Amino acid sequence: MSAKMFHLGWFLGNGFGVQAWNSEWAGTGATDWMMPDQYIDLARSIERGGFDFLMMEDSVQIPNAYQGSSEYYLRTASAAPKQDPAVLAGILSQFTEKLGIVATLTTTFYHPFTVARLMSTLDHVSKGRIGWNIVTGSSTYAAKNFGFDMPEHDLRYEMADEFVELACKLWDSWEPDAVLADVEKGVYADHTKVHTLDFEGKFYSSRGPLNTTPSPQGRPVFLQAGGSDQGKDLAAKYVEAIIANPPGVEKMKAYREDIRRRAVEHGRDPDTIKVMYLVSPVFGETDDEAEEKLARRERAKNSNIEGLLAGRSHLASIDLSQFPLDEPLPDDLISNGHRSSFANFKGDGTQTLRERILAHSATDAVHLCGTPATVAAQMDEIMQEVGGDGFLIVGTPMHRRYVAEVTDGLSPALRRRGLIRSNFSHQLLRDNLLAF
Amino acid sequence: MTTVEAAKFHLAWFKSFTPHDWRSTWSGSEERDWMTGDSHVDFLRALERARFDFLMLEDSLMVSDTYGGTAEASLAQGGYAPKGDPALLASMLLSETKRIGVIATMSSTFVPPWLLARTSATIDHLSGGRFGWNCVTSSENRAAQNFGMDALPPHDERYERAAEYVEVVKQLWDSWEPDAFVMDQESGTYVDHTKVNPIHFEGRWHRSRGPLNLMRPPQGHPVICQAGGSPAGKAFAAGNADVLLSLPKGLPDMKRYRDDIRELAEKAGRDPDDIKVLFIISPILADTDDEARELQAMMNSDVEAKIKAQMVNWSATMEIDFSRFDLDRPLPDDAVTNGHQSTLATFRKFANGRTLREAFTAYRTEAIEVVGSPATAADTLQEAMEFVGGDGFLVMGPTNRRYVHEITDGLVPELQRRGLVRTEYAGTHLRDHLREF
Amino acid sequence: MTGPDMFHLGWFGSFIPTTWQSGWDGTDAGRWMDGTFYVDKVRTLERACFDFILFEDSSMVSDVYGGSSEATLKRGGWAPKGDPVALAPILARATEHIGISVTMSTSFYPPWMLARSVATLDHMSRGRIGWNIVTSSEDLAARNFGMDALPPHDERYARADEYVDLVTRLWDSWDADALVMDRERGVYVDHTKVRPIDFVGKYYKSRGPLNTLRPPQGRPVLTQAGGSPAGRQFASRYADMVMALPKGVPAMKEYRDDIRMRVAAEGRDPDQTKVMYVVSPILGETHQHALDRKAAKDEAVRQHPEGQLIGWSGSMEIDFSTFDLDKPLPDDVATNGHQSTLANFRKWAGDRTLREACVAYRTESMELIGTPDEVAAQMGEAMEEVGGDGFLIWNQPHNRRYIGEIADGLVPALQNRGLMRTGYTHEHFRDNLLEF
Repeated sequence: MSAKMFHLGWFLGNGFGVQAWNSEWAGTGATDWMMPDQYIDLARSIERGGFDFLMMEDSVQIPNAYQGSSEYYLRTASAAPKQDPAVLAGILSQFTEKLGIVATLTTTFYHPFTVARLMSTLDHVSKGRIGWNIVTGSSTYAAKNFGFDMPEHDLRYEMADEFVELACKLWDSWEPDAVLADVEKGVYADHTKVHTLDFEGKFYSSRGPLNTTPSPQGRPVFLQAGGSDQGKDLAAKYVEAIIANPPGVEKMKAYREDIRRRAVEHGRDPDTIKVMYLVSPVFGETDDEAEEKLARRERAKNSNIEGLLAGRSHLASIDLSQFPLDEPLPDDLISNGHRSSFANFKGDGTQTLRERILAHSATDAVHLCGTPATVAAQMDEIMQEVGGDGFLIVGTPMHRRYVAEVTDGLSPALRRRGLIRSNFSHQLLRDNLLAF
Repeated sequence: MTTVEAAKFHLAWFKSFTPHDWRSTWSGSEERDWMTGDSHVDFLRALERARFDFLMLEDSLMVSDTYGGTAEASLAQGGYAPKGDPALLASMLLSETKRIGVIATMSSTFVPPWLLARTSATIDHLSGGRFGWNCVTSSENRAAQNFGMDALPPHDERYERAAEYVEVVKQLWDSWEPDAFVMDQESGTYVDHTKVNPIHFEGRWHRSRGPLNLMRPPQGHPVICQAGGSPAGKAFAAGNADVLLSLPKGLPDMKRYRDDIRELAEKAGRDPDDIKVLFIISPILADTDDEARELQAMMNSDVEAKIKAQMVNWSATMEIDFSRFDLDRPLPDDAVTNGHQSTLATFRKFANGRTLREAFTAYRTEAIEVVGSPATAADTLQEAMEFVGGDGFLVMGPTNRRYVHEITDGLVPELQRRGLVRTEYAGTHLRDHLREF
Repeated sequence: MTGPDMFHLGWFGSFIPTTWQSGWDGTDAGRWMDGTFYVDKVRTLERACFDFILFEDSSMVSDVYGGSSEATLKRGGWAPKGDPVALAPILARATEHIGISVTMSTSFYPPWMLARSVATLDHMSRGRIGWNIVTSSEDLAARNFGMDALPPHDERYARADEYVDLVTRLWDSWDADALVMDRERGVYVDHTKVRPIDFVGKYYKSRGPLNTLRPPQGRPVLTQAGGSPAGRQFASRYADMVMALPKGVPAMKEYRDDIRMRVAAEGRDPDQTKVMYVVSPILGETHQHALDRKAAKDEAVRQHPEGQLIGWSGSMEIDFSTFDLDKPLPDDVATNGHQSTLANFRKWAGDRTLREACVAYRTESMELIGTPDEVAAQMGEAMEEVGGDGFLIWNQPHNRRYIGEIADGLVPALQNRGLMRTGYTHEHFRDNLLEF
């Protein structure tokens, strides 16, 4: 027996930034990353490959955490440079027809009105295929670019809650039938159905109304990646898809049940929130070849302790170079950035920093490795255990050959098992996401 | 050794408008969607990004039923038919790209010359001068029968006809002088009729009054491509072709072939640098050399299937039923073809008395074997070109997207770093690309 | 039936330079061969919900008028002319719904080649291709193809009849379910569903089968224009759409009734053959403005009647430059070309001088002049009288401004009156054409 049909998303883990550029099969990645071409190819490929959406991560700083310097990050093009994903979202919407396009916008750095208007515009131009990945930001350096210190973790979530509330009010400031476009009578919009808000919150205020018409989806699909309690709550309250990274099938199942329980507590049907697990399958012509490739990649990664530390430093906004590699991290060390993922990384204090950094994969919830047929079977099994709802493929390494392995190898294999869609039944991203 | 700047060579790709590779692990939805042309667009964009000179689309005009006397094997395999019209695909592909050329195969035996001149002139205009015509004489009686003939003209006569055919087509293209188009508002003259003249061509096989009803193509003459190995084919190519696809195997034969063509071209009064000889390769690439060799072994492991696929294809193109030969004996001496004569001759030479099974097991279409990591493959190509003298390679591989990206994003950057292939296009026309170096 | 019936709109034109002396021609006449103008045009027509665009074609540079190609080429209307078959894949790629019908001559294409090209186009357009069947009528074109002259008029139709029969059999040589794609057994196509046709006719021979899959529409849409009895008989046997030029509403009705009667006599449902009339509406801001535009156009022709004379010379292969402009056409003139065109011409011209005939002549079934709404009303009334089935807009002048007037002026007026579709119901050209 096979699992129920599940959803696929593509997580562009380095946003509109430098993808594979100095590794094998990187093509013109080093010089062309800032052009839309590679992403257009990607979007068209995954649309063909039965994905629900493409999600673009974002960050707005040149990292400086590791050794208090940008050297490592700029030398290796890690997490910087990076361009605005909202611009790319607009372009991609014109080269696709049904694929959902999800941009990351940070509540802490925008005003709700800006986000509401931008998302509404994108939803119009994409004919209802836009999603918003709600993040609160995590980096001290990013906040400094906007001229303030990063608010503390819990406060950021409190702010985010109000941010989303206000944005929703702005999206609702036009009644659905406010636009008449009546050519005969010469009436475009009925002003009695367009309302000011005069919103005064704890953090934000806005007069309203929004100055664009209601978009096809009304509001964008909300996505969120929350591991902390506050994050999970925000997700359970608002979002339609949650990006999750618990290690192992057991924890994946527990995580999903937790989210569904919280959704019910917020008065929602738990089927209206999809839990999508981050995975980076490794493919080969044979299972052996794929395993060799994975092992080779692991060896390369593990021999680059500096890279691992720099990456983790960036996520946590903590300079991990200051701690001895062969001792556990201090008990009281917590991150104001990605709080839960850092706690998870740090572990229970019985292992050294070196052990933790080598043991901890930043992305993989489960082991997916082999021929496309093998990986499809593995995914099938996992979904049978977990119950749903889908996977987010992390394009690592992000180059066209890998994309083809997924969309032209894995997708057909999943389709042959009846596990993913072979076409889109709806026009709107939300309808497709909630179709099963 | 002193460092000198390496001589650059050309890259092109050879493909059919077919559901190629439909059964492989990485074929995506190609088996169902190939006729829309969508995958070809992705594919051509990838080649353009890698600065290939052109994509060549071969063609044939029949469903073969030679092998075993039925179409079963040929249609089950699905490599030879079904097949779409490549000129139409070429037009669409060129509209989706800006610099790369596309060469489509059209048969001088079946297409009326005026029609060919006009269709190719139209596509050359639509693409801003990036179209080429692969001139074939066709080699199958089955195709002739689709066009109401009982059989093809004999091999060498086809080349004589083709030479005349090319002549009439060129004259039609030339029937509009380059400056005929004036669009002068003052005198109300769109085209100067004194520069558009009938050709009154009266040949042995072809007639056409002309002029063409379309302006001279941007390239003057769209690029002419040819694949001839027989003496008649070589002579024809040396006189007419801009680019030549060639079949010899191994470095010494490759060099001999190219030298020969260049000499023939010179005798025909042409600059030998105006005719480029490209050699077929099918690189097998992987992260490491070991993996590439494992992959190669895997691809060759199903010997029976490989032999059968080869025999089905050759039965189609040569119209010899290979199914009736004993695999454990050499190819009978009386097996002859009116079709691909040089292919058969090359195979005989290659087999050198071996049984068909042994010969087919060892046989490769490619000129040289290219197996390894991108760096190793680049070494192989570099050495080959240093030995042969030029002019480049025509990739013929399993055209799934993964493989295409191995070439365009793995092998090509490595060749570019060595300065062996271009990193930017210098000209705008396909012929500019061919003559760039 | 209550209320007005919907009718169809198509666009009739050639792959030729745009007008270039009207003052509203942009830069298109200098670069029409790059296809951009035609891509923009077909997208505009799709936005305006036209059923299809139809390209006529011819294969010669006419030198009948004045015994020289000077007049033809100087004006640039009849030649140069690009191959519409090579343009069609580009237009298909740029659109999703609109039908594209291209002219290919039965006198010059080998049937097997035509069957395959049209099948390929039907696949590339996902079932939106039409073949406009012509037998060609110019000996000059025949000489380009190595013949001395065309066969006589009625024999051309006899040949065409056999030709279409053969081509249809080639399309039918593959069953719809021949493509099996059985990965396990390694069978792409089931050879038992692909058969030779061994066609041996009076004029044509072909063994078959075709070497490509059955077209998505099975048989691509067949369109035809024939006024002579042989032409009408031919159309009634095969055509899905007949392009017609009878002058005036009573003649239009008579023509349609005749075609429907003939279609029924062939054992076909008369609703399966649509009769569409060629028109060139002259639109104005006001009624008077439209009349002024017409008057100005007439006066221009009166001053320079050659354009019209060249057209007649080309299509009837009669040198009109030899006649006195201010006298009627002499009685002793004959043609092997468009017989019905010449007969209709004489009947219509009566005792008009050639100059006045040029002024009065319209390549259209009825004159349509006025504001968009007035013209929409005229079209609606005409269709009510005639019974159906729609109009073919002939571009006069051939530039973006005129296309815009039709697409954004006339079409909305027709839509407001419920006379025209506001969207496409079906994927295939034929299904849309036969929808009402």
